Amino acid sequence: MSYIEVNNLVKDYKINVKKRGILGSMQSLLIPEYKMIRAVDDISFSIKKGEMVGFIGPNGAGKSTTVKMLTGILMPTSGNIITGGLSPHSDRKKNAARIGAVFGQRTQLWWDLPAEDTFDLLRYVYKMPEKKFKANMETFNELLGLNEFISKPVRQLSLGQRMRADIAASLIHDPEIVFFDEPTIGLDVVAKQKVRDFVRHMNKEKNITMLFTTHDMGDIEKTCDRMLIIDKGKIIYDGTPDDIKKKYAKYRTLIIDFVEKQSGIEIPGVEVCEDKGNKVQFRFIKDEVSAQELISSLTKKYEISDFTLQEADIENVIREIYEGGIKCDENLCGVC
Amino acid sequence: MDKQKMFTIPELTKLFFVHTKLIAKTTLEYKFHRSLISVAIFCREMISIVTMYLIMIRFVSIKGWDMNEMLFLYSFLFISYSLFVFVFAGIRDFDAMVQSGELDRFLLRPLGLIYQVIASRADFSATLGHGAVGVILLIKTAGSVGIEWNLRNTLAYIAVILGGTVIQASLFMVSSCFSFWTVNTTNLRNLVFFNARRFAAYPLSFYPGVIRYLLIFLLPFAFVNYFPSLYFLNKPEVSILGGWIPYLTPVVGAVLFFLVYTFWKFGLKHYSSVGN
Repeated sequence: MSYIEVNNLVKDYKINVKKRGILGSMQSLLIPEYKMIRAVDDISFSIKKGEMVGFIGPNGAGKSTTVKMLTGILMPTSGNIITGGLSPHSDRKKNAARIGAVFGQRTQLWWDLPAEDTFDLLRYVYKMPEKKFKANMETFNELLGLNEFISKPVRQLSLGQRMRADIAASLIHDPEIVFFDEPTIGLDVVAKQKVRDFVRHMNKEKNITMLFTTHDMGDIEKTCDRMLIIDKGKIIYDGTPDDIKKKYAKYRTLIIDFVEKQSGIEIPGVEVCEDKGNKVQFRFIKDEVSAQELISSLTKKYEISDFTLQEADIENVIREIYEGGIKCDENLCGVC
Repeated sequence: MDKQKMFTIPELTKLFFVHTKLIAKTTLEYKFHRSLISVAIFCREMISIVTMYLIMIRFVSIKGWDMNEMLFLYSFLFISYSLFVFVFAGIRDFDAMVQSGELDRFLLRPLGLIYQVIASRADFSATLGHGAVGVILLIKTAGSVGIEWNLRNTLAYIAVILGGTVIQASLFMVSSCFSFWTVNTTNLRNLVFFNARRFAAYPLSFYPGVIRYLLIFLLPFAFVNYFPSLYFLNKPEVSILGGWIPYLTPVVGAVLFFLVYTFWKFGLKHYSSVGN
């Protein structure tokens, strides 16, 4: 059963067209000229309860706008959204009681005070019974190690600590759905891992529906079972992160360590993309060139000390999609 | 599971004071800095009063107003403004909230927007600075201008201060409405508000018609201090409305607030948030 239903969602923005030069800016001050920008263009999708979905897309693709409409911050221009039987914008307060949101770039914690003060405030904001509140705090402390730093002013926390506190603050009231906006931005590998583990754990424990918008494909691969790619206000891909890799990752890379320095190696269908003396990177299309044949032909001619074969990673695929190199076809996403 | 319980008034009051406690704690984090601001405000306002005093002292009275009466008139502005920056500082700082994305956070919480805007801010420094000036003026003049501080007058006085606070809050809120269209009118607002307030420092009867109408109908500062003062000082002009004059202030405040709030709600519908 779907928990979030989005049908034909559209959001238009009216923006002021600025003219160049002094005369132009005086003109736009006196006679403003407006242009309508369609940020979200007729998108529909549904998300099941407990699903973890990643939203990706280049900057300005309409991800944030979509999420802002899903959370009730913005009113859709047309189309409708139902989350758990409510319309997020017109039933804003009711809806807000059961959603949580984490913004990686903005904190909801009181900057000059210890995080525990914010938690105390949230207890009243969400009208939580004391027992429930304490139990949740204990769980978060166990999983995120909050007690190490909860009594220090937030401004003195490291980014990783602040992020952990922020995530806990967004989940304190047992929301049914949580929106994550770049939850791991700027974090080191260990901190990223902690956040991802925690998120997965909470999803399993409490069956919380989770939506991620991020530019970190690692977040998506490690946490989400479904991925929506949005570009120019439209959904261009809807499926698992693995599928897109299988389908669109055309290239493989072979890295070879030669015993002696080699130059001018030319093999048809294979491109030398990096040449650092002894270490050479070859790139080829996996359907056209067999890796096994390539390696054996190279070992015949040259002395090789080591080699590595790399499958294309999802980041490259996504980059090509953004740059327009790959057009998603209909049988894969079904909604193009 | 029913999570959609409504908030009751005691719960909202409690939550308001939880906010106030956190704001106080934040203020205390920067004790020195915040106290300096209070002192600076106090000195700035006292200087304007001393200047006025030095000029006025040359006359026994102007158009029937003597020095103490004028200072009494002035004290309303400070006391109600002091209460305004304590309770409604969020309305004053609304532009900044929109720009920082704080407003988006409020929209994600199960509480009314205007409630959160008001509860999340209190400017203790300005409250103290303006409050000290107001209280000094009131103490100096309250005994010498012939007011009998009985129950009736005390109640009237409280009504005037509360009404005056809401009137000033409404005037500030007008400019916050424009923030929804990402138009920042803070500077224009400050220019209009503080200059109108400067007019209001003197009795309305000193001014030509245009300014009088302005201070009665457009920026109703006349209800913040002039009309109430007529009542408390038993001026001859008072006879038309008599004892009801002080209660006009909260009525004007409520009507004004309602009108501005309607406009505010309209603006909220057009809110388009800020980018990341």
